[in-house]
Amino acid sequence: MGVFYLTALQMALCLGPMAMGIFITMKVFNIPDITTDGSYTLGAVVTAVLLSANVPLWIVLPLSILCGALAGTITGFIHTKLGIDALLSGILVMTALYSVNLIILGRSNIPLIGTASIFDLLSLPFAGSLNALLIAALFVLVLLFLIIYLLRTDFGIAMRATGNNPVMTKAMGVNNDRIKIIGLAMANGLTATSGFLVAQYQGFADINMGIGIVITGLGSVLIADAIRLWTGIRKIGRQIMLVLFGCMIFQAVLAFTLSVGVDPNLLKMVTALFVLTIVAIPKLSKTFSKQ
Amino acid sequence: MIKIQHISKVYNKGQEDEVRALHQVDLAIDKGEFVVIVGTNGSGKSTMLNMLLGVSLPTEGSILINDTNITSLPQHQRSQWISMVFQNPAYGTAPDLTVLENFRLAALRAGRKGLRIGINENFRKTVADKVATLGMGLENKLDQLMGSLSGGQRQALTLLMGVMDRTDILLMDEPTAALDPKSSQVVMQLADKINKEMGITILLITHSMKDALTYGNRLLMFHGGEIIRDLSKDAKKSLQLSDLQEWFS
Repeated sequence: MGVFYLTALQMALCLGPMAMGIFITMKVFNIPDITTDGSYTLGAVVTAVLLSANVPLWIVLPLSILCGALAGTITGFIHTKLGIDALLSGILVMTALYSVNLIILGRSNIPLIGTASIFDLLSLPFAGSLNALLIAALFVLVLLFLIIYLLRTDFGIAMRATGNNPVMTKAMGVNNDRIKIIGLAMANGLTATSGFLVAQYQGFADINMGIGIVITGLGSVLIADAIRLWTGIRKIGRQIMLVLFGCMIFQAVLAFTLSVGVDPNLLKMVTALFVLTIVAIPKLSKTFSKQ
Repeated sequence: MIKIQHISKVYNKGQEDEVRALHQVDLAIDKGEFVVIVGTNGSGKSTMLNMLLGVSLPTEGSILINDTNITSLPQHQRSQWISMVFQNPAYGTAPDLTVLENFRLAALRAGRKGLRIGINENFRKTVADKVATLGMGLENKLDQLMGSLSGGQRQALTLLMGVMDRTDILLMDEPTAALDPKSSQVVMQLADKINKEMGITILLITHSMKDALTYGNRLLMFHGGEIIRDLSKDAKKSLQLSDLQEWFS
């Protein structure tokens, strides 16, 4: 039973960067970005192909992030410069990325057996079987710190204000289009980082691994949002931490679902229902409280 | 300082619903002037302010600030000269950011929004001192979300934010329209103080005839997309409320 939850925690840590990316697009910029499904797979695909070619990890990581960021930049460009709705821009790029990923991968999947892995990079003496978990935690904590720092800088304030009141930011000398493109690049770079981690943790990259992954990120952000409303947490750093926590709860629910014997084929449906429940609870509780 | 030359603005040109919002407007405003603009709805006064701000571009004509042609410059690049106080207090501030964060952005209006944490104790003190001059006790609410403040408080802060960074021109489009009389007075007195003490050029649109008479050293009246009256400081002094009301009849 415990293994289910440890695996869930490990997956939550690997998917944490993606959830943070969705927080940036959805909560900071108020943009529904569907590029995620494609950029997550892109990160995994680039990682798998490069690791299979024995490219060192310190080159693989920035290249994966860069590819994800490029996908986000294209979505941002289509949305801001061509005036296409953000949702449609993301769908277009996500669709195109399926072909791109297939071309890079060369086949439907690549197993990563005997290749270098970030989880083998360090062998923490006290960790034992939890080595991979601790490395993932360390990696995500560094990322978390960097994102929190960025959102507190002058640039970060301009980012947050752009999503909050674009009329005001234009008058404050902010180039709204440029800052949105940078934000989408950042978010998808983070998503690709999750692809980088998951490919190595699972030991393979698959062309379909990103399908519906945006729901996982969305669910994490919505759980975080619900906790934020209950607790009144306002500081941006704590909100990002909540997203990571939301990701853990999300994965724990999935682990629980599997542990009680629900058919794994129904997992995606359970995921969707869980997110629906989170979204519906505030509305339903208001309706019932009025009655 | 500001030169508006033969500015026209036509919406839906060549179509059945063509609207001529401004027609061949010429205007020169010197540094430090406080220009009050009045006119009926649809007379073109907001259109002119929007073109100065860069929200919309003129159909013809040119706009110069300090001899720099800004006619086709995007809005965010004009912020080095111009700051704006909108009619709706909600437009001028980011509600989900704290008061201090809003001020930080305002302090960098003409500058670079870089990768450093600019909110430190010095900055907090600077903002607190400025906000304290309002006498509203808001210096104790710097860490509150801007959205939790009243419209009057937000508008007064917006005005202060407008002059946090160096600015030459302050545009105010009916800044007191959504405020109660007391808050309106605070905002107008602050605008007057900013003009007199800092020498910042102000263009104020108002529907309050009382404010039009009380504040400013020049009065413009718009009608049908043209400036039909342009009164200097001395001419404005002799003006009565009844005279102004007669202009609108």
